[in-house]
Amino acid sequence: MAPRDVTLTINGRAYRGRAEPRKTLADFIREDCGLTGTHLGCEHGVCGACTILMNGDAVRSCLLFAVQAEGAELRTVEGLADGDRLHPIQQAFWEHHGLQCGFCTPGFLMTAVAFLRDHPHPSEREIREGLAGNLCRCTGYQNIVKAVAAAAAVLTSTAPVGTKRRAGAKKGARGRRRTLEHPPADRQPATMKSKPAQRRATVKSKRARRARRTAR
Amino acid sequence: MKLDGTNTLPAPMETVWNTINDPEALRRCTPGLKDLTPAGPDKYQATLSIGIAAVKGTYAGTLTITDKQAPKHYKIVLEGSGGAGFMKGEGIVDLEPQGNETLLRWTGDIQIGGLIAGVGQRMLSGVGKMLIGQFFKCLEQQFGGAAGAPPSGRPGSGHGDR
Amino acid sequence: MKPAAFEYHAPRTVEEAVGLLAAHGDDAKVLAGGQSLVPLMNMRLARPRVIVDVNRVRGLDGLREARGVLRIGAMVRQGTAERSPLVAARCPLLRDALGWVGHPQIRNRGTIGGSIAHADPAAEIPAVLAALGGEVTVRGPKGARTIRAADLFAGYLTTAIGARELLTEVRIPALPRGAGWSWMEIARRHGDFALAGVGVVLALRGGVITEVRIGLTGVGPAPVRAEAAERLLTGSRPSEELWQQAAGAVRGAIDPDGDLHASAEYRRHVAGVLVMRALREALGRRGRAA
Repeated sequence: MAPRDVTLTINGRAYRGRAEPRKTLADFIREDCGLTGTHLGCEHGVCGACTILMNGDAVRSCLLFAVQAEGAELRTVEGLADGDRLHPIQQAFWEHHGLQCGFCTPGFLMTAVAFLRDHPHPSEREIREGLAGNLCRCTGYQNIVKAVAAAAAVLTSTAPVGTKRRAGAKKGARGRRRTLEHPPADRQPATMKSKPAQRRATVKSKRARRARRTAR
Repeated sequence: MKLDGTNTLPAPMETVWNTINDPEALRRCTPGLKDLTPAGPDKYQATLSIGIAAVKGTYAGTLTITDKQAPKHYKIVLEGSGGAGFMKGEGIVDLEPQGNETLLRWTGDIQIGGLIAGVGQRMLSGVGKMLIGQFFKCLEQQFGGAAGAPPSGRPGSGHGDR
Repeated sequence: MKPAAFEYHAPRTVEEAVGLLAAHGDDAKVLAGGQSLVPLMNMRLARPRVIVDVNRVRGLDGLREARGVLRIGAMVRQGTAERSPLVAARCPLLRDALGWVGHPQIRNRGTIGGSIAHADPAAEIPAVLAALGGEVTVRGPKGARTIRAADLFAGYLTTAIGARELLTEVRIPALPRGAGWSWMEIARRHGDFALAGVGVVLALRGGVITEVRIGLTGVGPAPVRAEAAERLLTGSRPSEELWQQAAGAVRGAIDPDGDLHASAEYRRHVAGVLVMRALREALGRRGRAA
């Protein structure tokens, strides 16, 4: 069927492309936006490798069509680090050996970002439940759970640059949404992106803002 | 996957035997059967379109009737494949007179493979039972016995997955 | 693992959506959360010619209580309902059951209405709807109609909702004040489809059971409301013997399928065990707000 225009924001940058309705959001992110950090494992919603944030929610990008994300704000693994400085969750995965082959890691990281925003002081059981939708064939999960617990401690105790908490949010309140800002994505260096991605990501910021406004 | 069951059909044994050997009746009563073309003695080419809800598939294959002992026993061998998977099955049918009615005992051993078996595994035996139930309900109607059909004809009298 | 091509529509109103369904009939499939449909499409087990994406349809995301009934827009995300203080306060059975639906990422997209319309035989939300005697509103070319839970589920992935109709609202009665509740489920891993699941609501007065609801999932082609067990329990005093009898009544009322993961006999047995555990838990939770 005829391709359609898709305009969306990933990690604070506007992207515009054309996609057949049947193209999944995961494929659009990888092939059209050049952001290959989002991985595809099972392509039917079981493994969690393709987890991204869409308008703040952790979702499986293989179970969405790109055309459905028109106007959406996405966050992918490329948006986590601030230049050479890893995001605290990435740092914790490194320090606690939360990865071996690394294929599932982007999905785990994005799941953990949303999970720790909603559960800043998680119990181990909550961590395991929160990560249950992601599969890892290497680690046996122990070190991933440790890494997320360690990241939770770092994120809440040291309040890294840019960490904000929504006023009135109670400690440990279940299901309450918090804003936990991570290093702004627009400070992300262009070297993080593949060449075609850089070429495509040329939409002027003004236009990007307009696209975002109309989408709301 | 092994399935079995019994059905009481409101017709004498000879009539039931003729019906279950009649391609036209089989065509009418087999759920999703689009086409049944003779391809030799007791052998047919069949096209089936089976599915529930959005999951639909078309399967092409052969249906052979063997081991015929008129008017009480035969074996049906089915083989087919389609985009979503393949199936191989054997069914044995035995008839027994019961007054003016006929007791039909059937056992089936079906292997389903490919994508549909991997994904639909949970529902295969249930859907299989449901389709076989539809087949017998239709047969009962062939004998004009729909209204008075005894409850033993319900598919639930079969046992799935032994 | 790429879906077949389809024609895509993203209507903004219920009328538009119903118009599209009326025009395309069996060729069209409604796309709600997509957590069941899109996997089937990716594997090409489902190849709808037309997709009617109702994610941008206005007015399907309301969640409120009116006269003791939760009125849930069909497109309310499972995660939203799970986190809703209203659901927690008025229908904690639904909240607890939602915790068993897939994984958080699935619940962030999956919808209450979508789960009901999809009617997976092992799904949680249909069993809650059946247990509590809820109902749904569907809109079609001839207008709106109401379908009660008892008339809704017809079998594997099959409901009384027509191909030209759109599910717009789900209504689930709130629990009676002070009633206890419990959702119990056995799955191979957390987030897997239920081998068997049970929802119970229990209210007593003067030590006697005045109201009880039992709904089951994963034990047949459609959710089951165990009415024989409910009748047996109503008017009696709670005891272990009574729970045993209720479990027996439930086992006698279900006709589960067997598969690779669990035989029919196992499912029947475990359904009874879960009913007893759920009755115990519900009894202990009486008078407690969620």
